[in-house]
Amino acid sequence: MKRRGTGVGCMFYGIGNTGLPNPAAAFVEVLPDTSVNVIVGAADIGQGSSTMAAAVAAETLGLAIENIHVTWADTQVAPEGGATSASRQTFITGNAVKNACTQAMGELRRTAAEKLEVPEEDLVFRNREIYSSKDETKRMTYPELMGAMSYRGRLAVGAGYYNPKTTYLNPADMSGVPYEVYSYATCILEVEVDTDTGEVTLLKCVSAHDVGTPINPKMVEGQIEGGTAMGTGFVISEKIDVDPKTLAIKNPTLSKYIIGTNMDMPEIYPIAVSSEGEAGPFGAKGLGEPALIPSIPATMAAIGNALGVTFTKTPIFPADIVKAWKDKQAAENQG
Amino acid sequence: MNKITVHCTVNHKPVSVEIEPNKRLLDMLRVNLGLTSVKEGCSEGECGACTVIYNGEPVTSCCILAGQAEGADIITLEGVSVDGKPDVVQQAFIESGAIQCGFCIPGMILTAEALLMKNPHPTMEQIKEAMSGNLCRCTGYKKIEEAVALAASRM
Amino acid sequence: MSKYAVLNTEFPKVDALERALGTAKYAADYFMPNMLYSGVFRSTVPHAYVKKLNLDKARALPGVAAVLDYTAIPGKNRFGIIVKDEPCLVDDKIRRYGDALAVVAAETQELVDEALELIEVEYEELTPVKSFEEAMAPGAPIVHGQTNVHAKKHLEFGNVDEAWDKCDVIVENTYSTHILSHMFIEPDAGLAYLDEQGVMNVIASTQNPHYDRNEVAAMLGIPMNRVRVKQATTGGGFGGKLDIGVQLHVALLAWHTRRPVKMVRSRTESTMVSSKRHPITMKCRTGATRDGKLVAVDVVMTCDAGAYGSYGPAVIGRAPVHIVGPYECPNVRCDAVFAYTNNPMCGAFRGFGVPQAAVCHEGQMNALAKALNMDPIELRLRNAHKVGTVIPTGQTLTESVGFTDTLLKAREKALEVMPEAMARLKTE
Repeated sequence: MKRRGTGVGCMFYGIGNTGLPNPAAAFVEVLPDTSVNVIVGAADIGQGSSTMAAAVAAETLGLAIENIHVTWADTQVAPEGGATSASRQTFITGNAVKNACTQAMGELRRTAAEKLEVPEEDLVFRNREIYSSKDETKRMTYPELMGAMSYRGRLAVGAGYYNPKTTYLNPADMSGVPYEVYSYATCILEVEVDTDTGEVTLLKCVSAHDVGTPINPKMVEGQIEGGTAMGTGFVISEKIDVDPKTLAIKNPTLSKYIIGTNMDMPEIYPIAVSSEGEAGPFGAKGLGEPALIPSIPATMAAIGNALGVTFTKTPIFPADIVKAWKDKQAAENQG
Repeated sequence: MNKITVHCTVNHKPVSVEIEPNKRLLDMLRVNLGLTSVKEGCSEGECGACTVIYNGEPVTSCCILAGQAEGADIITLEGVSVDGKPDVVQQAFIESGAIQCGFCIPGMILTAEALLMKNPHPTMEQIKEAMSGNLCRCTGYKKIEEAVALAASRM
Repeated sequence: MSKYAVLNTEFPKVDALERALGTAKYAADYFMPNMLYSGVFRSTVPHAYVKKLNLDKARALPGVAAVLDYTAIPGKNRFGIIVKDEPCLVDDKIRRYGDALAVVAAETQELVDEALELIEVEYEELTPVKSFEEAMAPGAPIVHGQTNVHAKKHLEFGNVDEAWDKCDVIVENTYSTHILSHMFIEPDAGLAYLDEQGVMNVIASTQNPHYDRNEVAAMLGIPMNRVRVKQATTGGGFGGKLDIGVQLHVALLAWHTRRPVKMVRSRTESTMVSSKRHPITMKCRTGATRDGKLVAVDVVMTCDAGAYGSYGPAVIGRAPVHIVGPYECPNVRCDAVFAYTNNPMCGAFRGFGVPQAAVCHEGQMNALAKALNMDPIELRLRNAHKVGTVIPTGQTLTESVGFTDTLLKAREKALEVMPEAMARLKTE
């Protein structure tokens, strides 16, 4: 018999290391032709920290993303980036890039203020132009500004770093400030369960994530979609088996450790939710791990909802489902 | 070990490669011909990262001995781009946000190319079916399928 | 005008083009003139002393450039992101299946494999510790040092013991999660060489280049600025490429051979020896008022962390802080113990214990919703973190708390795309 079920899963996730310093740094130089070198320590493993760094630099400097070249994760060139872990690079390296750009803009602001004859604090850098927020007719282009910089022998260089505002936790009770900022998420997922075979079909999934400010909507969606694939697989297909004698992993290959294919995916609706805050760069927060987490309890709950039973253990494989259903039938027949 | 000579067409050019008979097509392409877009992910034909277009079909090059490729017509990702510029499928993958770590992408793009060569206007179901042999651990596949559909719409 | 000129607009990833063209170079794609290939000789038992390790036959094989054991390490031989408890090459005892005993560099990969076959080892086997319970049992064999307790945490907030009287409903469950593997599609790989200035260069698939640099420097006994770690284009990690992988082994071989040395792990080796997700058992008691406000949460958390610490201390630090989930609760206690065993090493895996914690807190919220006959989303909304919430560490949340919005927006979208499924949420 095929039965459908729905589950809700929520989570929060503290960005960066728990109650520990975990700084990251960036270098920035705006070149005479308005192209920019941004150098960060952060390793990009495909999640997009380098693209994030380019976007934060472009936004801060008032340039286009095409103007930015990012070099990353070369220790003889790039400053400390810390680990690409704990969903920390958007928040921490992002803030470091913003700080480095802000430093580089010191000379840019001074020069633009001199040329436009307006106070530095009134200047807006946006879309390759610099203008006064008080009088938008007072404006210049970025190439003009860099020309003025060259004439004066000034360089637009910056180094910045960021360390989240946390405290060490009290070893007695873990009190303190473990993280500066948290990401949040809610996932609602629908499954169909075959009670005879135990097979689970993932039908639809809505996953809404508070990312503060989305840096790049497609990258946000991509994280949520990929995280959902991994989170649902966590529950229904993935498991490491350890040989009880040698304690070796018995299934170290992709034919024996089953990750989902495209045919196994639910119809997924990712949602980026914004929230107001100053901690992250332009309010942005981490998403890498949050993208995974809520689909795990949501899948467990949905399978449970379909059968009318409660699962408290992972994984939930077909044999577990068939057994749970039979046990339930037996209990009902007795009752 | 005595070497054999394999004659085949790789990326539209005839090649002959001297190679040990126990080497796989994957090794020949990566090591002997320097075509490192062909990736080794699982070595057992499961993940599809080493996919090449082999006589018009997407096949995993880790499961074929080099010697078997005698006379074959083989296309790798290096043979898809035009003068170092992305073709329509590659461009669609970029625009759709289909690329995260990218290790599965050569196989994904070649599988899509093979599909679109035979069927330039596939339905979403046909796209899903065609792409189902390639594993991705990052994206959840949605944007990859969207990329193939976008490429098809531009064919 | 939009608030941002660049953010939240459509633009391609800065590194998408080379990945679409296939020109992006992953670690295994590097080839250098005069380059050696390499491999690792690993233990096939989980807990043992090495009585004899005979490298002579392997060394005698023509085309083999180096066969090294721990005695070849010029600097330190203990590594780990938090606790330095893992050897580059085993020097005292084997603690898991797959521990590295020796490394080989040779002219071809075939010669490497042949040389590995020629290495002979004799073990003096010890009783392996196979589970958390075995690790904690009196008289258990000790995996590291004096105790099998890898880490302990105690979180205490409010007064849990006095809170139960204020609860109208109490639910108790034990949750457990299993061991999982990252299965990044690119197996670990790296290459090391000394450059013309004598700097040790390591190009690797990694999530952690600066940490790798520091560990390579410590292993070779040279200053950090004499090591350059460059991340190659990396085919996923998910936490599994945070621990140091091939980097130490290729650096050691390049140091001794003065030639570039490359190492590419097979899928099997990569999965065998990289870290795994911590399996965690959580015994949880949750109390609430009849209108669904959380009053108390009490959790006992135990975990078999495997043979080495890796990111275990980060997981045990993070899981208790997240154990209630994104909900207000004035009384919380969590006691956590992680044990060393001879099982596969657990470490960082996307979420650092929070996925496991979420299995517990969401299971409890659903159990409460059922006990109270309440809509599960409504129950969550009633307890949701908001600006001003004090979390169980005593921290007050001051900004950027978008949880309620995620609940409302997810519900709104779900009602649109799966209305029947939403109706089913309330019926069990």
